[in-house]
Amino acid sequence: MHVTAPISERIQRIRTKYRTTKPAVDLNRYKLVTEFYQSRPDLTGILRKAYSLKNLFENMPTCIWEDELIVGYPAETYRGCAVFPETSINWLHGELDNIENRKTDPYDITEETREYIRNTLDYWDTHCNSALVDCYYPEEFKKIYSHARVLTFNERMNSQSPIGHYCGNFWKVVDPGLASIRDEARAKIAALFEKGIQGDEGRKYEFYKAVELVTDGLCTYVKRYAKEAERQAAACTDPKRKKELEKMADGLNWIYDNPARDYQEALQAVWFYQLGQIMDAQLHGISMGRVDQYVGKYAEADIAAGRLTREEAQELTDSFMLKVTECNKLWSEMAMQSSPGYTSGQMITLGGTDRDGNDATNLATYLILASSERLKIHQPPLTLRVHEGTPEDLWEAGIACTMSVGGTPVFEWDDVVVESIVRRGIPIEDARNYCLIGCVEPAVCGCDFANSGGDGNAAYTILPNALLCAINNGKNPFHLPGDPDGPAAPETGYLYEMNSMQEVLDAYAKQMDFFTKWQVSMVNCYEYIYGFHNPLPLLSATMDGCMENGADVLWGGAKYNGAGNSSIGHGTVADSLNIIDQMCFREKKCTTRELYDAIMANWVGYEDLHQYIKGKASHFGNDDPEADKYLQFVADTYADGITRGISPRGCHWTAGCWPVTLNIALGRITWATPDGRTVGEQLSDGISPVPGMDKSGPYALINSITKFDQAKYANGTLCNMKFHPTALRGEGGWQKLRDVMKTYFRKGGMELQLNIISSETMRKAQAHPEDYQDLVVRVAGFSAYFVEVYKDAQDALIARTEISM
Amino acid sequence: MSESQKELTGRLYDIQGFSVQDGPGIRTTAFLKGCPLRCPWCHSPESQHFHKQLSWMSMRCIGTEACKERCMKACTKGAIEYGPKSPDTKNPEIELQLVHVKRDICDDCGDCTDKCYTEALYMCGKDYTVDQLVARLLRDRDFCETGKGGVTIAGGECMSQPKFVLEVVKKLKAEGIHIAIDTTGFAQWEHFEAILPYVDLFLYDLKHMDSAKHKAMVDVPNELILENAKKLVEHGAKLQVRIPVIPMFNSDEENIRKTAEFCAEIKEGIEVIQLLPYHNLGVMKYLRISDKPTFEATPPTDQYMQKLKGIMEEYGLPVTIH
Repeated sequence: MHVTAPISERIQRIRTKYRTTKPAVDLNRYKLVTEFYQSRPDLTGILRKAYSLKNLFENMPTCIWEDELIVGYPAETYRGCAVFPETSINWLHGELDNIENRKTDPYDITEETREYIRNTLDYWDTHCNSALVDCYYPEEFKKIYSHARVLTFNERMNSQSPIGHYCGNFWKVVDPGLASIRDEARAKIAALFEKGIQGDEGRKYEFYKAVELVTDGLCTYVKRYAKEAERQAAACTDPKRKKELEKMADGLNWIYDNPARDYQEALQAVWFYQLGQIMDAQLHGISMGRVDQYVGKYAEADIAAGRLTREEAQELTDSFMLKVTECNKLWSEMAMQSSPGYTSGQMITLGGTDRDGNDATNLATYLILASSERLKIHQPPLTLRVHEGTPEDLWEAGIACTMSVGGTPVFEWDDVVVESIVRRGIPIEDARNYCLIGCVEPAVCGCDFANSGGDGNAAYTILPNALLCAINNGKNPFHLPGDPDGPAAPETGYLYEMNSMQEVLDAYAKQMDFFTKWQVSMVNCYEYIYGFHNPLPLLSATMDGCMENGADVLWGGAKYNGAGNSSIGHGTVADSLNIIDQMCFREKKCTTRELYDAIMANWVGYEDLHQYIKGKASHFGNDDPEADKYLQFVADTYADGITRGISPRGCHWTAGCWPVTLNIALGRITWATPDGRTVGEQLSDGISPVPGMDKSGPYALINSITKFDQAKYANGTLCNMKFHPTALRGEGGWQKLRDVMKTYFRKGGMELQLNIISSETMRKAQAHPEDYQDLVVRVAGFSAYFVEVYKDAQDALIARTEISM
Repeated sequence: MSESQKELTGRLYDIQGFSVQDGPGIRTTAFLKGCPLRCPWCHSPESQHFHKQLSWMSMRCIGTEACKERCMKACTKGAIEYGPKSPDTKNPEIELQLVHVKRDICDDCGDCTDKCYTEALYMCGKDYTVDQLVARLLRDRDFCETGKGGVTIAGGECMSQPKFVLEVVKKLKAEGIHIAIDTTGFAQWEHFEAILPYVDLFLYDLKHMDSAKHKAMVDVPNELILENAKKLVEHGAKLQVRIPVIPMFNSDEENIRKTAEFCAEIKEGIEVIQLLPYHNLGVMKYLRISDKPTFEATPPTDQYMQKLKGIMEEYGLPVTIH
């Protein structure tokens, strides 16, 4: 029987502070970076990046808050938010004046901060990465992304999520410690000098120098925190806290020069490396990987030796988790539509197997899950890797956690994920060491530069718009002011000119060829510019392969490389093709002309046809072989097109299917689709059918969505399911839910995330948010506090098909 | 094709996957239509009649303005008239003119349902051949296997379509599927005897030990039911006894004691006794198929249920409350 112990008082205090503090914009990082860039125009590329980061490590304030046991934060106030002008600042022009009042994710700001930012916006306007991208991008891109709207990209708005979505090798910072990498970099430089820098080895020198600078900087930063802990200890009158601070100072002085000695030091070593990466490159899916595997043996050894009780180990874990969750990311109100609720995307992966396929569950697996469950925190997102050998206790703990914290953890099935990684050409032993990145993107932990999030703006391929181009001669019927006229995509004819389903499919395939090619081109160009101006030496320091190759991850230094894309609207397109075939060709209920006209009229004047399609026609998602038959085609045309693409680092691109919540926001600017969707309605979510069209229960749904080869989607798939709490009622309730999940996985499913909460509860929370402050729900690739999610997304959650008994 | 050559079919009103209350594991339940009993508290009123019935679900009705009264026009008998008005859930400022079925005129022909695209009007009851139903149920096989469940044939009273059920369970058993039969027990013994070899578990209802009261309440006496229960156990069947606890009918201590005494006699065949407290979730469903007001009672308290459980346990019986 699964039970969760109560939270200690000190942890309760931190948690209360977390839930009651409104984040504020913090000027420290912004100011240090601005002054540095302005004072050193002589520096460029990786060395500018490295010196700037070292400067931050040497000068950012050191903040140890009351009560906490794991420390380190990139802002001067609790829950404060660092700002990253060097990547993108242009969006801030319009939002600076109202940032404390905006509807979702508001931030407090002092007038002094606002004034400083305002006065420096002009400088960053021409120096930030977004500006560099805009002036480099070929004119030809513009017509394609702005008009067809199959690819998402925004001038001036790009780079507000810089290149992220990776996971370094945290094992190395725990043991032997980061200083050993600094020393290795110094040795590499000495060796270069010894034999002379030959050929293009200037680049290697530059890389090792950058690694030396940032690792040395981070070691200094940790020592500065040690000093702060000593200072606070000296001033502390509470003997218990004083002792804690002294132990903390001792640990901070020790780690990074040496291997961690205990659980607390291991957690602290992990956190400082994460913190350093956040200060370098913002929070865009910077993932923490298999944390239970890095720290589990220390927790077990401490308890075995009597150095810690289980309760103390849990309290340390709680403090660690609250530290991670404290971080948040400032971005534009528009971009925030994809991930509302102060999310930071620092995915932690738990469970799974070792390199030989044996179950790898350890004490820390349970400690981290329990922290999330009892603290009811939506961040960091957790992934629980499950497989045939996952212990019953772990399944139960995972399901208990997801019942308490909607959608945390995500359940990921090893067989399918490992297969998808092996298909990238990676040996199975390494593939088994995967973690999830960002939302649901698999990558090998610590040696695979996945870059699965594109630039954060260009990571999505919006399939329904490609279909609309296919049946409307290359034009998107949805016009926004300022859109160029004329076709933006191949002129594949109009639906009413097509005489067979094959012609429709050919037209769509042609569009997908075109758009996947441009998708790859656009992000490749982006990465090229980014890799030139903003390499990632701190990540590269630990990532397997980079030190050996003398190359940054962005220059292809990592042992393995990935480049990931995600598609949106599989279900909408699969169902639309099904409806075209069913209505116009198979059952001849209407002509292609009638259907075309009805779609272009947004069904106005075609109500009978619209009602028939919505109500009487058969739809994808009900295990009807005819209605489901285009899913594989839709999945393949996209995945094959994307996978043909080659990234700047020489690897093939990988396909994914996870929308965050963009299926809602992008639905607003997507024209009516043949499946009966009207203008503005949301697009299908993840790999799920169109909302409300799966009317035949969970088995039929699962049978339908496993009709495509998910292992082809090495960049991850996402499936949301909502269960009514009564479905788990009674003895053995969780096992029954587990068995449904397991069936999905055994049929080829990769990922599953659950909300076990009734629509009634969500409606009550909408009406009385004050009573539901702690209600966490799974939104998309992340969870959020329900009350912090914007209304459209709340409505979409309520509308998700609910499985009861 | 003559009547005798006509392929055997059965009539169902629903098939439900992820059934977690109808036997062990996760199951798929096939609900057969038609029942000789008339339990007033029945939470599936659409299960009672054997014929297909016109049903109307108000929340799906988009109003006569939007559908241009297609249903009314399709009905040659004039059985569909304007009904209540109801605010549109998407836009509460708009009032929808819903329809109403005149039950005294409607002959359940279903013509209107073809024209009701939103399926607010739909026919309850669908015929399957044996092979169709078996194929449909086997689509859920992966779930049954992983979830250590199977198929439950329920009703209505499934044993009122004995030939069909026999053929279905034969084929399912041949596929290695765990079979449960959910029954009122009110059917000829020969039918139970015939399916016995293919059934792993009977979910067996006991409603009242006094035959006169039984008949007064649910239209049939209880002798056949009690007799079949005994015979099933004699023949080695496994029973999961289900007792709906209905206030003012069978929830008195005396009846529960008598039921317990009966169960104690056939104890060797009973895996568990489930006490099912009355709930009123089925009340709304009556309005889909009739205008008649229906039985409504206050559900028994948890405390009272615990008391009944305690009484039955005095007889050494395994009891759970559902």
